[in-house]
Amino acid sequence: MDAQTAGHGQVFETEVLIIGGGATGTGVMRDLALRGIHCLLIDRRDLNAGASGGNHGLLHSGGRYAAADADTAAECRREGDILKAVAPECIDACGGLFVAVEGDDPEFAARFPEHCRAAGIECKAITPAEARALEPCLSEKVVAAYTVPDATVDPFRITLENVNHARELTQSIFLSHTELERFVVAGGSIRSAICRDSRSGETISIHARQVVNAAGAWAMRVARLAGCSGVKLLYSKGTLIISNARIGARVINRLRAPGDGDILVPGGTVSLLGTTSQTVDNLDDIHPTVAEVDRLVAEGIAMVPEIAHTRFIRAFSGVRPLLLAAGAAADGRKASRGFSLFDHESEGLANFATVAGGKLTTFRLMAEKTGDLVARRLGNKQPCKTETTPLPSGDAIRWTEPGFAPRYWAARREPGGLILCECEMVPTSAIDAIVDNAPGAQSQMSLNAIAVRSRVGKGSCQGAFCSLRVSSHLYDRQVYDSPEGLRNTRDFVAQRFKGVAPVAWGEHLPQLELAEALHCSLLGLDHLADDRVVDDSAQQAPAGVQKP
Amino acid sequence: MSTASQTPTRIIDFKTAARELLPPGASYDACLSCGLCSAGCPASGLEGMDPRRFIRMAMLGMNEELSTTAWVWTCTQCQRCKYVCPMSIDVSVLVGLARGAWPTEKKPRGIVRSCEAQMRSPGTSAMGLQEEDFVETVEEEVASVRAQGERFARLEAPIDKQGAHFFVNQNSREPGTEPEEMAPLWKIFDYVGADWTYSSKGWAAENFCMFTGDDEAWRKMVEQRVAAVKRLGCKVWLNTECGHSFYTLWKGVERFGLEADFEAGSLVSYYARWIREGRLPVNADWNTQGIKFTVQDPCQLVRKSLGDTMADDLRFVARRLVGDANFVDMAPCRSANYCCGGGGGFLQAGMKELRWAYGKRKFDQIMTTQADYVLTPCHNCHSQIEDLGQHFHGGYRVVHFWTLICLSLGILGENERKYLGPDLARLGL
Repeated sequence: MDAQTAGHGQVFETEVLIIGGGATGTGVMRDLALRGIHCLLIDRRDLNAGASGGNHGLLHSGGRYAAADADTAAECRREGDILKAVAPECIDACGGLFVAVEGDDPEFAARFPEHCRAAGIECKAITPAEARALEPCLSEKVVAAYTVPDATVDPFRITLENVNHARELTQSIFLSHTELERFVVAGGSIRSAICRDSRSGETISIHARQVVNAAGAWAMRVARLAGCSGVKLLYSKGTLIISNARIGARVINRLRAPGDGDILVPGGTVSLLGTTSQTVDNLDDIHPTVAEVDRLVAEGIAMVPEIAHTRFIRAFSGVRPLLLAAGAAADGRKASRGFSLFDHESEGLANFATVAGGKLTTFRLMAEKTGDLVARRLGNKQPCKTETTPLPSGDAIRWTEPGFAPRYWAARREPGGLILCECEMVPTSAIDAIVDNAPGAQSQMSLNAIAVRSRVGKGSCQGAFCSLRVSSHLYDRQVYDSPEGLRNTRDFVAQRFKGVAPVAWGEHLPQLELAEALHCSLLGLDHLADDRVVDDSAQQAPAGVQKP
Repeated sequence: MSTASQTPTRIIDFKTAARELLPPGASYDACLSCGLCSAGCPASGLEGMDPRRFIRMAMLGMNEELSTTAWVWTCTQCQRCKYVCPMSIDVSVLVGLARGAWPTEKKPRGIVRSCEAQMRSPGTSAMGLQEEDFVETVEEEVASVRAQGERFARLEAPIDKQGAHFFVNQNSREPGTEPEEMAPLWKIFDYVGADWTYSSKGWAAENFCMFTGDDEAWRKMVEQRVAAVKRLGCKVWLNTECGHSFYTLWKGVERFGLEADFEAGSLVSYYARWIREGRLPVNADWNTQGIKFTVQDPCQLVRKSLGDTMADDLRFVARRLVGDANFVDMAPCRSANYCCGGGGGFLQAGMKELRWAYGKRKFDQIMTTQADYVLTPCHNCHSQIEDLGQHFHGGYRVVHFWTLICLSLGILGENERKYLGPDLARLGL
């Protein structure tokens, strides 16, 4: 084994190596751990770095797919019910509305209840006046409305809980910033995965009996590294924008064929307006554009007129990894939202599996099917337990929920408890809990990592102040002990800027100006020397803070 | 405040209220989280709150916490937050709304009782002073001033004089507890030959109803006072050395859309005018000892009402009275001044420890000036700053403008020196 013989680098042994720290990969990790299996999960960046972090957190009732894809719709409904039962703390069962406005196809609206019935989705017709009574933000031009059991899910918390539970069950390990470079294949199986720690540059060799590719949009690349070409994905970029405050109480869907700006999803204390769909070839440098934001706002106004005056604080983009069936049209809107499990046996590998496609709502089912295959291959007879086993929470993994930190603060009233992030009211104790014990805490818990595990940087200042306060705290705690911490801060705010720039108008523009004055004029972060080891966040961030 | 009660607290939707009550562009939505408000708010940290937190909690939908936090009674609604806010967001409006939603029996008793007394009294006195008591006290005190000698033998303090130019109001504290403190003001009016009158109705210069958050009560107070001015047909409603009584009428007329065809004037502006016109020839010749003075800008009069024009007048009068070399400003001051903690009903609310904690910032400011005296044309500032001095052992004194004006003019009577120290107790007698 080359890492050992070379005498450098780390070597890990595990039963199952899982590639990809999104909802699916962490779901597989927990599924297997519940069967008593030790796993090692790696991600080239961190948890939720792909589509699992770049989505609107909708727990689909299935209503969105009722008309076009009854199977996916029914799957969404069943999985939504399971998640509501096993992870209620991650879910806001806020309900949803489908509304048609003047000019929308009346026939599409009229057939909606029928499609829902076919998929088993509870759907009730209400009058436009009743809809406006439920959601005063709705347009006067609403002509048809139905209620559906839509809900929202905190995708960050659910992955954190998955990883945390797997750690508790079988001491399974998560390694962030671990990029797969190649597989060592021999005798029809993967013998080892050769990875690189993108922060230290060190080589990491992982020996596993089974390898699961749950790399989301990157699954096709990973499969190719194993010499498998059967996984074919369509990359569909979707952009969303986040409002400063929650707009509607429920999920509000436009009752028409899926299109831009047709869904407004509450995210605890904010709302997310989405989603665009654009087929892309390249997974690198995915970021929201002004044109996309304009389209979202223009379309969103038809349902919710106040969107015209709403302060949006950030835009973000994700890439939907959609399965490209042979002969299917290359249209992200029409591609299946279903998932596939590839066992790669026909491609000559006995210990490799790829799970691809699917949706956040159905990640558990994807993990179950993958877990069944992997367990069978390992000779493990334990059945899947994720359908009924509640996801445990914990001190270090409850800070991603919008509104939790302020409620926690208000209930405790710690007189000396300093709040580091004022927008989201994240106290020092939360940062300490994350640094000490959140998944990934065995390596350095940077500002970026803390932001993934909390609401830091997600409020109206978008990291202008909290980035500095949290970084200072990390230096105080000696988590940071070199200029690297400051560079991490710079990269963090530069990354935030990419999301803020496309929504920089009206009341949000002064915020951006203030951040620039603070970060560039006062601190000179844009002139920070760039001599450092390769950091994956550098691929996301520009060399310096861009000026508007 | 902690009285057990069955009345449920009304929960306000602060985010919606902010959109309705605040002007476009200054809603809570516009908050930059910059913290200029909380950095300059003496109530920051009390009850774990500060203005930015109030805004953020509103945006996060924490309506129950905001509807029940006692912090709203420690915020004096001084509006310094609004003054420094780059987006002009006013937290005090929502604090007023929150106060109003508290069940009456849970509100600080002192503020509620003061408003109730005002509502019962045709004079609108928070001390419940009745019309006949006020009239009698004034008459007795007039007799006593006339007895001081020939200079004031014909001094008058008219009551209900129809058509007088100035309608002068009177803080209840003087007729109620220290009537001799009314005399210096009368002497000033006599000196400049002002055509003025008190009124037997609506005479009082305090309005705790605004501080209860009860807009209706605030409105009633203002209506009664406006009617009292109209009844006598006066041209100018001249507000005594008091901050909030000026603001409540000045702002109340606009807020409630009342018709008031008279000028709302501050006594300080008229002091300045009379000095400029040479009718009040004050000077600092008496201050041979180099006694140092600073001035407290009442938030209600300066920042919340007349702005830096009033601050200029205050300093003009103060410098003339004590001498440029003996005048030391606090920093910050004028419209950026810190509230002392006497406003908003805090003095009457019975929350002493919190009020002292709030006032510590003001105390430190005063101590930095090394002033021997604090001049302030506001009764709440006066009481609070005096109390802070005693509590923190400041050693300074607090004095009304009228005292120094009469001292400078050589007409301050022996029993009108309650607020002067031994250094000035005998000066000019």
